[in-house]
Amino acid sequence: MTSRRDFLKVTGATGTGLVLGLYLDAKPRPGETTKAAFQPNAFLTIRLDGTAQITVPKVEMGQGVRTALPLALAEELDLDWSKIEVVNAHPGPDFKGMQTGGSTSVSTTWDSLRKAGAAAREMLKGAAAAQWNVAVDRCRTEKGFVLGPGGQKLGYGTLADAAAKQPVPKDAPLKKPADYRLLGKWTPRFDGPAIVTGKAIFGLDVRRPGQRFAAVLRCPVPGGKAKTWDEAKAKAVRGVKAVVEVPTGIAVIAESTWAAFKGREALAASATWDEGPARDFRSAALETKMRTALTGPADDARREGDTETALKAAAHLIEAEYVFPYQAHATVEPMNAMAAVNSDGAEMWVGSQSANRAHERAAAALALKPEQMKVNVPLLGGGFGRRLGTDFSTEAAQVAKAAGGGPVQVVWDREDDFRHDLYHPATLHRMRAGLDASGSLAAWAHRIAGPAVMRSWTGGQKVPVQASVESNGAYDIPYAIPAIAVDFAEVEAPTPLGWWRGIQIVPNVFARECFLDEVAHVLGKDPLALRLQLLGDRGKVMFGRDEADIQRLKKVLELATAKAGWGRKLPAGHGLGLACHAYDGRTYAAQVAEVSVEKGQLRIHKVVCAVDCGLVVNPAGLEAQVEGGIAFGLSALFTQITWEKGRTIQTGYADFPLLRLPDMPTIETHVIPSAEAPSGMGEPPVPVAIPAVLNAVFAATGKRIRRLPLGPDSFK
Amino acid sequence: MPTYQLTVNGRARAVDADADTPLLWILRDTLGLTGTKFGCGQGVCGACTVHLDGQAVKSCQTSLQEAAGHAVITVEGLSKDGSHPVQKAWIVEDVAQCGYCQPGMIMTAAALLKHKAHPTDGDIDEAFADHVCRCGTYPRVRKAVKRAAGGVK
Repeated sequence: MTSRRDFLKVTGATGTGLVLGLYLDAKPRPGETTKAAFQPNAFLTIRLDGTAQITVPKVEMGQGVRTALPLALAEELDLDWSKIEVVNAHPGPDFKGMQTGGSTSVSTTWDSLRKAGAAAREMLKGAAAAQWNVAVDRCRTEKGFVLGPGGQKLGYGTLADAAAKQPVPKDAPLKKPADYRLLGKWTPRFDGPAIVTGKAIFGLDVRRPGQRFAAVLRCPVPGGKAKTWDEAKAKAVRGVKAVVEVPTGIAVIAESTWAAFKGREALAASATWDEGPARDFRSAALETKMRTALTGPADDARREGDTETALKAAAHLIEAEYVFPYQAHATVEPMNAMAAVNSDGAEMWVGSQSANRAHERAAAALALKPEQMKVNVPLLGGGFGRRLGTDFSTEAAQVAKAAGGGPVQVVWDREDDFRHDLYHPATLHRMRAGLDASGSLAAWAHRIAGPAVMRSWTGGQKVPVQASVESNGAYDIPYAIPAIAVDFAEVEAPTPLGWWRGIQIVPNVFARECFLDEVAHVLGKDPLALRLQLLGDRGKVMFGRDEADIQRLKKVLELATAKAGWGRKLPAGHGLGLACHAYDGRTYAAQVAEVSVEKGQLRIHKVVCAVDCGLVVNPAGLEAQVEGGIAFGLSALFTQITWEKGRTIQTGYADFPLLRLPDMPTIETHVIPSAEAPSGMGEPPVPVAIPAVLNAVFAATGKRIRRLPLGPDSFK
Repeated sequence: MPTYQLTVNGRARAVDADADTPLLWILRDTLGLTGTKFGCGQGVCGACTVHLDGQAVKSCQTSLQEAAGHAVITVEGLSKDGSHPVQKAWIVEDVAQCGYCQPGMIMTAAALLKHKAHPTDGDIDEAFADHVCRCGTYPRVRKAVKRAAGGVK
């Protein structure tokens, strides 16, 4: 969709080449409260030496935006990909829409970036045509050059200054997909060479003259505060320079990270705590409350037909409870941020998915105006939603100020990261299905009970479930069933919460797709045949705020099962399972997993994934997101965060068993060719992986798994 | 305070720090070699892997005292220009996603191939069992190791 409010203008001075500012009105996503108009969120500079600099208005956390977004612009502009420099935007008035999440980076910038590229291309052609005294439409572009009808050839650098004086075309023609030279081709990520040589700069790698390092001693119970501590204990450690109090705890400032950690360790032994309102919080108690909420009042997310009557009248009622635990993000780069404060203002270096919020909140914490603070965004060593939070950036600003200005780099260690995450909350799911006398699925009820993630984004404000994320993946069940009821019963928990790759779609699709398999089993139907039947011949269907094309979902299901050999004879003890989902009605994914269980050990041999995400910008990036998304989903089969006495049991990777290389299945990715606008691929593969595997476990063993994580007793 | 001598990427360095300081922090904070990453500090994620006399070790579990007198190679010193066969294979297979854990993976791959020119899948499993990549680059890590196989001297 093209926003009519996009516009382009030349922003550079003569003699600097062609500098194009692109102003666009970014579409707000659910949960976004600010709606700013006329956002300049990409800049293009063509320098006199022919190199092009592209400023990327989203942040790179492994999802490939520093490759995909420049590709869209470079395609229309016919840039020489080897002469491109990609730089990160700074949050502020020029870049108000840097929030990066929800698999939206490509879909929300795609049109604007291509239009900017096309406009610049026409301006360069116009400049060349004027110089050669030929008609513009007789000129064409190729890999950084304008070519004339008589064999003339001028590089973009040579033309840049003259091009800047050309009028900015309003509707420069966009290329036809058949003419693409870059889009759709395998392009290794832009940052690869810097990454493999250790030159890539992540937040933790930022180094400033005179910087110090800090570790913050925080209450092990989120929300608690230090009552007493003996700062002399920390100061006795070599390299420790200062001990300061900040709202989140006691910061130890030192010459090195190690000294800060050692100083904090010494300080910890002396600290006493007011553990605050969460001090008695336990996972087991929360589960009891959630179970009670499964049959109490709830907010309707979707209600079609009279589900309760249909369930009562059902010839056969199927019921099951599904359990999904708390999860941590566990990015390999722990949280960190560096800040420097002086009399004029402040500067911060932070790998933030929410750079504008991080900027505004840190400035507010320092009693500065945002324009008095500059924020730099280095590479993010993983995000997965964790870095949408601003806790760690605001804290770093506070530490720097308390320490006399800095620069100070606040470094979290692995235990900090697990103990003070913004967690994905646990949920319980009460699933009910009613079969009528003819053996048709007549009614479907999905009750979700758990803490509301959205409150973490709205400062505690309740958001109506239909405008929230709590029932995503459940309310948009794509199957045609006469009566459907999906509702959410909020259960309060005193823990910090936040966005996690796939958000609530992960547990909701886990419950939905596994339970549908249960229905298929009771009906004596093949799980694929039942899904195809329930998807039916419908086309586009509106679910709440999202429209999904049922036929696109059906096609990925057919493709994945065909490629996986659904129905084929399997080795003894093996099983195939499938699941599918239409993510926000934008990206369609289906997966077939092949597993075996031997001596209580699950082995996931292979996952075949079919996707339809519209036009593929970069297959290298797409396949990486599918592989990574599946790995993220599969890890959640094994990991959990549990609470006892208000603190997490888990403190590191040793007790949070993420999937590792030896256990990674073979992944096969198949793409439905499409000329539709590109959607997103960061999250869509995640939720489908879990039910595909668990349905395969059922096929292999007859054991239905309704509770995660898997444990030694899961297969008994 | 004792001064420790070690060779880092071919260069002799004298370091004045406590004996038990992990090599990781000497590299990152004292010598400014930030290519070696801090992931867990508990020896279970592999992000800090470097070579000590040609063996892959976790620099968060190697003290300055243990490293003293030995040759340390970090990702910055693997090649002058990114031309090590493992680095080249990593680019061709487009292994990295966020890239944060990759220097550790690359150092493990380089050490593996130095000792075993043509590793089996089982050898690769064993070598990388201690590495965490939250982005899930594992299938491409395996491919890149195989692509680089035979090319590491």
